[in-house]
Amino acid sequence: MKTIVEAKQIKKVYGAKGNVFSALEDIDLTVMEGEFVGIMGPSGAGKSTLLNILATIDEPTAGDIVVDGINLTKMNEEQLSAFRRDKLGFLFQDYNLLDTLTVKENIILPLALAKLNVEELERRADEVADKFGIRDILNKYPYQISGGQKQRTAASRAIISKPNLILADEPTGALDSKSATDLLESLKDLNEQDKATILMVTHDAYAASYCNRVLFIKDGKIFTELVKGKRSRKEFFNKVLDVLSALGGGANDVI
Amino acid sequence: MTLFSLARKNIKGNFNNYFVYFVTLVFSMVIYYTFTSLQYSEKIQESIELSDTMSFMFGVSSIILILFVAIFILYSNSFFTRKRKKEVGLYAILGLRKKTIAKMLFYENLIMGIIAIVIGIILGTLLSKLFAMILIKLMGSIAEVDFGISILAITQTVIVFMVIILFTSVQGYRLIYRFTLIELFYDEKKGEQIPKVSLITAVIGVIFLVVSYWLILKPFPDEFTTEYLIKNYGIAFVALVIGTHLFFRSVTVYLLRLSQKNKSRYYRGTRIIETSRLLFRIRGNARTFTVIALLSAATICFLGATYSGYYSNEKRAKEVVPFSYSHLSKGPEFDSQVESIIKADHRHPIKAQLDIPVIQVKGILSFQLDYDINPVKLISESTFNKVANALNKDETVSLSGNQAAVIQPRFTEYTKSVFKGENITIQLHQGSNELPFVHMVESNVLPFDYPDFFLVVSNEMFAEIAKKEAPLTYKVYEVENEVTAQATSKKVNKLVGNDFQVSSSFYTEYKQGKEGNAITLFIFGFLGLVFLAATGSIIYFKQLTEANEAKGHYEILRKIGVNKKDIRKSIKRQSLFVFGLPLTIGILHSCVALYFTSNFISNLIGINLIFPILMAIVFFVIIYAVYYVLTVNTYNRIVNK
Ligand SMILES: Nc1ncnc2c1ncn2[C@@H]1O[C@H](COP(=O)(O)OP(=O)(O)O)[C@@H](O)[C@H]1O
Ligand SMILES: [Mg+2]
Repeated sequence: MKTIVEAKQIKKVYGAKGNVFSALEDIDLTVMEGEFVGIMGPSGAGKSTLLNILATIDEPTAGDIVVDGINLTKMNEEQLSAFRRDKLGFLFQDYNLLDTLTVKENIILPLALAKLNVEELERRADEVADKFGIRDILNKYPYQISGGQKQRTAASRAIISKPNLILADEPTGALDSKSATDLLESLKDLNEQDKATILMVTHDAYAASYCNRVLFIKDGKIFTELVKGKRSRKEFFNKVLDVLSALGGGANDVI
Repeated sequence: MTLFSLARKNIKGNFNNYFVYFVTLVFSMVIYYTFTSLQYSEKIQESIELSDTMSFMFGVSSIILILFVAIFILYSNSFFTRKRKKEVGLYAILGLRKKTIAKMLFYENLIMGIIAIVIGIILGTLLSKLFAMILIKLMGSIAEVDFGISILAITQTVIVFMVIILFTSVQGYRLIYRFTLIELFYDEKKGEQIPKVSLITAVIGVIFLVVSYWLILKPFPDEFTTEYLIKNYGIAFVALVIGTHLFFRSVTVYLLRLSQKNKSRYYRGTRIIETSRLLFRIRGNARTFTVIALLSAATICFLGATYSGYYSNEKRAKEVVPFSYSHLSKGPEFDSQVESIIKADHRHPIKAQLDIPVIQVKGILSFQLDYDINPVKLISESTFNKVANALNKDETVSLSGNQAAVIQPRFTEYTKSVFKGENITIQLHQGSNELPFVHMVESNVLPFDYPDFFLVVSNEMFAEIAKKEAPLTYKVYEVENEVTAQATSKKVNKLVGNDFQVSSSFYTEYKQGKEGNAITLFIFGFLGLVFLAATGSIIYFKQLTEANEAKGHYEILRKIGVNKKDIRKSIKRQSLFVFGLPLTIGILHSCVALYFTSNFISNLIGINLIFPILMAIVFFVIIYAVYYVLTVNTYNRIVNK
């Protein structure tokens, strides 16, 4: 199987002299094609920092990152943009939809930017809209739809360009449990049927239980790792809770 | 703690937030105060009393200026308030009474306004002096425009601004009552509605524009009263404003919707982002477009008028005094004295030097003409053609036998048809000659001297008449760069004396005209520059606030992989639309207005003003382009750092 993400010795230091703060320390991370990996940890552990670095939105202070065979640290701004557009899909807690575009326009934006032809673009829009069940709201604007619908729109946008890697930062954080479950089911389908590789940050054990593997981070370091293996989701969920309570601190706010 | 001191603390604490609003206030104040202090200066007051058009002009400009500052201040005030809604909501949550908050906002705005007035007047006094000096330099005029500290100007400025500030303060007072708490907190989330294409609005807008144009282009009535001016052009102005606004509202929606129809273009690259953004902000855009279009039109009008003034003065002077120097020959000694003075001026070398023989005779027209033609001045065909050549004109005549061509008398509007088929009988000592008119030409030969009735006759005819009536000889000189020939002109004038009703040298006539117009030109120029600055700052300010609001938007775009170069391109294209559309309409408006004024002026002085108007438009477009580049750069720096 192919390696999608290979990160070695990632460091991230914030602040200037005298007042430095180390958000990430020597993180190693490998994600294989078709994996659905969760990243958990208490608030302030460095989860978003890690994800943003993998997403090329942020730069590591030190370390090497190779995504789909491409070394990120050696690229300039233009190459990084193209890389983001072609290889990555994003899902954020606050959706990051453009409120001046309709749902459909938001979804096809990455393809429009890549200058795909219209027929192909329309076909794919229909395809992902069906997958996430948002066909009825394609012509609405983001301010006219619910949080769950917004996140499914964002998810549609994230996968429409068939990215090699989908990155999600607390995608269920602002959703009610029904919408959260819908979204997680969709992500799971995507992972199982379309073999999409997904890396999801969450501090919700229920969301984490949908993953094949969960990494725990504490104070910028890898704390431990759980693999689902043959366990049922319920069992995996309980395992995650165990680790979280061992992790301490942030564990309380997830139960 | 009293309310007053709470408000004062508020301002002190968040000075940065208040800064933009405050600068707007001061800026408007400075412009308005400079204008009023100009208006109340002695020189200008004199000319206002003397001339109806002048006082009308000042009246209109004053209204436009008040409108401009009011809109400008209200616009930035509403933006400022929008930014602070959350803060106000927070006060309410923390348990301050509504009334207390309302009063606080009221006082806060009032304090800021009053400080702005004081600073505005101080800065205005300093800047207006500077402004005056620059303009006087540019005009090259010695006419002093006194910009003393004027109590009247201060009073007027204070009154106008107190009204505006009180209004905004009351708006501030009402803020907490106008909105519910939830609205105060979730202002940004509230989506603006996408407008529908409305054919009716478009049609109504066009009707308003047509009516307004019609009123402006209507010929003058016989009687020209202030009431008529206010009624006719007041209504025209209001119709223009409303029409322009409706036009932008419907037409921009229409254009943008149209560009969305073509999916393969719309769904390609960043176009989808720009189009939707513009469409989404159409309400605000339409208002801004209207303001920019009107300001641009006003700017072009004033600059056009200023330049036309310059241009027409030179043209007029050239018409009244065609050659650099002209004088009646008074014997070889005298003539060579004049010649040596002119030759001594090496900075203005002679381009052409001619003798112009003129025969003065008595003539009787075959028809009635309300112009006193006697004595008629005859020149020969070859003289006329030599003059045309010397002055670089292409107008030549060729006559035979007793044919005659009339030179259009200056300051009249007789056309060819007046003389067509008619003739003139000239009476000589022995017998008379009947000369049929075959032409009318417009090139003048000698400085103006009433009655200005020149006839060009064939060379043979001229020679024949010359045998009976001795011709006078005029000596004329055309020199390089005559507009600066001050010293020599003075000497020549002194020596030659009054050969003509006007000066015998071009420079003197040119200079006198310039001085006579100096104040008018000064005002036009001043207003032109004010509106130029206003147009620029409005656009700049507007785009700046827009850029700050759009930060998040571009952040998202970067996250999904749009590179900086493409974002810059997208900003450029979007700004091009925002700049281009109102510019087009502004130029159209100004053409109509200038067509009207130039018709008016042309009739008076018989000069075609297309060229200076075109130059003014070109000048404005260039400055406007500079604004465009500046704005794009700033916008880019804000959202794309
Ligand atoms: N731009 C920044 N400057 C300084 N410190 C930061 C910055 N961004 C994040 N941090 C710090 O880095 C740590 C990790 O943050 P983050 O990755 O957002 O945590 P989380 O795991 O909750 O997503 C936090 O302590 C946070 O305060
Ligand atoms: Mg986070």
